[in-house]
Amino acid sequence: MDWTALWLSLRLSTITILLLLPIGITCGRLLAYRDFRGKGFVEAIVALPLVLPPTVVGYYLLVSFGASSPLGQVWQNIFDHSLVFSFEGLLFASIIFNLPFAIQPMQRGFESIPADIRDAAACCGMSPWTVLTKVELPLAWPGILTAMVLSFAHTLGEFGIVLMVGGSIPGETRTIAISIYDRVQAFDNAAAAQMSALLLVLSLVVIALVFTLSRRAGQSYN
Amino acid sequence: MNGLRLNLSQELPIPLDVDFDCAAGEVLALVGPSGSGKTTILRAIAGTYKPEHGFVSVGGKVWLDAAADLFIPSHNRSVGMVFQSYALFPHMNALENVAAALGHLPRDERNQRALELLDRVNLTGLEKRRPGSLSGGQQQRIAVARALARDPAVLLLDEPFSAVDRATRQRLYREIADLHSSLSMPVVLVTHDLDEAMMLADRVAIVHRGSLLQIGVPSDVVLKPVSAGVARLLDMRNIFNARVVEHDQEHQITYLDWHGLKLEAGLNLKSPCGDDVSWVVPDGYVVLHRRDRPSRGEHENPVPGTIGSLVAIGQVAQLTLIPDHEPSLPIHFSIPFHVASRNGIDVGVEAVVSLLAEGIHTMHLQVDMEE
Amino acid sequence: MAHFVHYKNNLAVKNVRNLCLSLILMLLVLPTQVQPAQAPIIAAASDLQFALTDIAALFQSQTGQSVKLSFGSSGNFARQIRQGAPFDIYFSADESYVLKLFRDGLTRDPGTLYGTGRVVIFAPHNSTLRVDGSLDGLRRLLTTDQVTRFAIANPEHAPYGRRALELLRHFGLWSEIAQHLVIGENISQAAQFATSTSAQGGIIAYSLALSPKVSTLGSYALIPEKSHSTLRQRMVLLNDAGAVAEQFYAFVQRDDVRAIFRQYGFTLPSSNN
Repeated sequence: MDWTALWLSLRLSTITILLLLPIGITCGRLLAYRDFRGKGFVEAIVALPLVLPPTVVGYYLLVSFGASSPLGQVWQNIFDHSLVFSFEGLLFASIIFNLPFAIQPMQRGFESIPADIRDAAACCGMSPWTVLTKVELPLAWPGILTAMVLSFAHTLGEFGIVLMVGGSIPGETRTIAISIYDRVQAFDNAAAAQMSALLLVLSLVVIALVFTLSRRAGQSYN
Repeated sequence: MNGLRLNLSQELPIPLDVDFDCAAGEVLALVGPSGSGKTTILRAIAGTYKPEHGFVSVGGKVWLDAAADLFIPSHNRSVGMVFQSYALFPHMNALENVAAALGHLPRDERNQRALELLDRVNLTGLEKRRPGSLSGGQQQRIAVARALARDPAVLLLDEPFSAVDRATRQRLYREIADLHSSLSMPVVLVTHDLDEAMMLADRVAIVHRGSLLQIGVPSDVVLKPVSAGVARLLDMRNIFNARVVEHDQEHQITYLDWHGLKLEAGLNLKSPCGDDVSWVVPDGYVVLHRRDRPSRGEHENPVPGTIGSLVAIGQVAQLTLIPDHEPSLPIHFSIPFHVASRNGIDVGVEAVVSLLAEGIHTMHLQVDMEE
Repeated sequence: MAHFVHYKNNLAVKNVRNLCLSLILMLLVLPTQVQPAQAPIIAAASDLQFALTDIAALFQSQTGQSVKLSFGSSGNFARQIRQGAPFDIYFSADESYVLKLFRDGLTRDPGTLYGTGRVVIFAPHNSTLRVDGSLDGLRRLLTTDQVTRFAIANPEHAPYGRRALELLRHFGLWSEIAQHLVIGENISQAAQFATSTSAQGGIIAYSLALSPKVSTLGSYALIPEKSHSTLRQRMVLLNDAGAVAEQFYAFVQRDDVRAIFRQYGFTLPSSNN
C-alpha cells in the first residue's frame, strides 16, 4: 500500500477543487447569466477535455508549460525547478482537465435560478455580493457540490495526463493511480490489488454522493 | 414632488416610447396586450432594465438619466416590486423572505417588522412556512409584504393576479383596495385585464408596442378612446366609420351619416362637416327595445335589424344585431339572459336597438375599420 | 453624490473579486521554495526493477537513508531529464543515452559503467513455445502459424526492445513475427505481457527473469550476446544531485553491492572500467 501516493492523490484532488471553486463559480455564473456572441464557442472549449483523448490534452499541456515553453522558463527562473514533473505542474494540468467537470454542473445550477428571483433580490435592496451569498449560492449549491465531487473523483482517477505531465516521481507526482500501474509492472500484484480495491470503494462512495446530490437538486424546494 | 416621473425611449431591442407621471398615493394601471412592453417599463422603473434613452425620477430622486450617464442600480433604489411569478426565495420561509428586504433596519428590529408586515397582509401564523407549501394567494401576499418592507418610494405590481383563481382574485382585489387607502406612494400596476384596471386604478394608461397611446381616468379612456386602435385594444367591438353631416351647437349635437342611417352624437367640433370619421359606441350604451317594457330611450338613434347571434355566457346573453340598412356591420351588445328569454330574443328574430347619443364617440378616421 | 455604477459592471466586480480570492488561495497552498532534505530520486531502467530495489533496501538498512526509485524505459527517462525532471541519478540500460546527456551538459561527468545486460526468450507455463537460445522453438511455431502474440519492449526508446529487434533480425524471424508483436512501454511491461497467458512469450531482460516473481511463471533461455549489440549499462549523477545521491552512487560501486548486480545476471565491468 503506497500511502505516499494516496496522500499525494488526496492532496492533489483537494487543492484542485479548492482552486476550482472560485473559478467554476465565476465562469459558471457568467455562462449561465449572459448571452454573448461566441458563447457557444466558449462552452465548446470548456467541454473540450471531456472529449479529447487524455494524451492530446497531455501533449498540449506539455507544449504549454514544458521546459522549452515561455511559461515553463518563467517558472524555472522563479522557483528553480521545472513546472513539469512537479506537483504544481500536476495542479495546473488538473485544473485544466477538470474545467468541464467543474463549470458545467455549476452552470446548470446557476441556470436553474429564475432571473426573476435575482431581480427580486436586487429590488429588496441586496447588493450584488449579498445576492450572490444569500440567494444565488444557496440555490445553486447542489450544482456546485456536484461539480466539486465530480472534479475530486476525476482527479483521483486521472492517469494519462498525470503520467505525461508529471512522470512517475515518488512523493511528487506519483499518484495512487500511477502507483497501481507501477506495482503491476513490478509484478507486485498484492499491492496493486489492495490499492485498486481502495480506489474502487472511494469511487463508489463518490458516485453515490453525486446521485444523491442530483436528486436533491431535482427536487428543488417543492 | 413625491411621485414618479418617467420618460423612456429606445428602438432596439425592445421599442419604447412612453412619458407619464404617477402621483403619490395614485394607482396607475398600464394596460395592453402581451408583449406590449408594459413589463419592460416596470423593469426600467425598478432598475432591472436599462433603456437606451430615458429619465426616471421618484420622490425627487433621479434614478435614471441616460443623457447624463446616470444609472442607479436596483439595490440602491427604494423600490418595491411584486413580480408576476412572485419570485419568492424558495429556500427561505415567509418571515425570512420579508426580512430579506429589511436590510436597512438594524438586525434586532427586522424580525419584529417582518411580523408586522405579514400581519398587515393577513398571513400571521404562516411565518415559518416555505413558499412551496403555500397557496398562490398566500404566496402573492408574501410578495406584497416583501415589496412593502422596503418602505418603497414607488410600488410596482406586475400582473399580480394573473396566476390566481377567480375567487381568490376577487378577494385580493378587495384587499388591495383596502391597502390602497393607506399607501402614500405612487403605485404602478401592470395588467392585460382591462376590467381589473378599471376596478383598481385611478388612472389607466394604454400601452401598445412600447408606445403610450392614451392615459386618463378609466371612464374617460373607455368612453373616449383616442383612436380606433385604442378602441380595439380596449376590446370594443362597435367601431364603425361615418360622415359628419352637421354640427348643431345650440343643442350640442353632431349629426353623423352611417351608411344612410342618421345618428345623433355628442357635439365634437374637431372634425369639420363633410369629413369621414371613425366612431365607437360601448356595448353598454346599446339598448335593446323591449316589447315587455318600452322606454323613453327608444327614440335615440334606433337601429332596426335582426338578431345575428346569441351566446350565453353565465347569466349574460351576448348578442349581435344585423342592421337592416347595412347587414355587413353587426352591432354587439349584451342583456341579462332572463330578458332575452322573456322577450323571445333569439337568432333570426327581428329587433331594434338604440344607440345612446352620449355613448357615441367620434375619432380620427381609420379607413380599414369596417373590414 | 450620485452612485455611478453601470449594471454590467457588477458582474465584472464579482469576477475581479473571485480572481483575487483564487490567487490568494493559490499562494497559500503552493509549497514553499525551501526544499527540505528529501530522499534523492533515482530514474532507473526497468530491467533493474528487482536488483535496484534490493540494493536500495540494503542502503537503507546500512545507512538509515532512503532513496526513491522510479522505473521506466531508458529513452523515456532521458527525454524527461532533458525537460527538467528532478532526478538525482540516472541508471540507463544503454550508455549512449548517458553519454549524450553528458555531451549536452546535463550531467556532471560521463558516468560509470555498472554492468552488461543479457536478454532471454521467455515462455509462460502452458505456452506452445519451447524456449531455446537459438530460437528454434520460436521458428517452429512461426512456420506452423501458431504465434499470435509475442512481447518485446518498445524498440524506439527501450534498449532491450532495440536488442530484441536486432536479434530477431539476426535470426531471420523479424519480418514474420513483426505483425504478432505486443510492444511494452519498457522491459517490465514487456515482461508483464510475456508472462501473461494471452501471449506465447517474449524477449525480456535476464535480470527480470532471474527474479522468483518472474521465473516461477514460466521458462526461459539465454540468447547469445553475438546476436545483438551489447547492453552496456551506465549510471550517472545529474547536475543537481545532492549529498545523499552521491552517497548512494558511491555505495552502488562497492564490491559487495556489485555482487547483487551479478546475482541478477549482469556481467560486471572490469575494475578499470
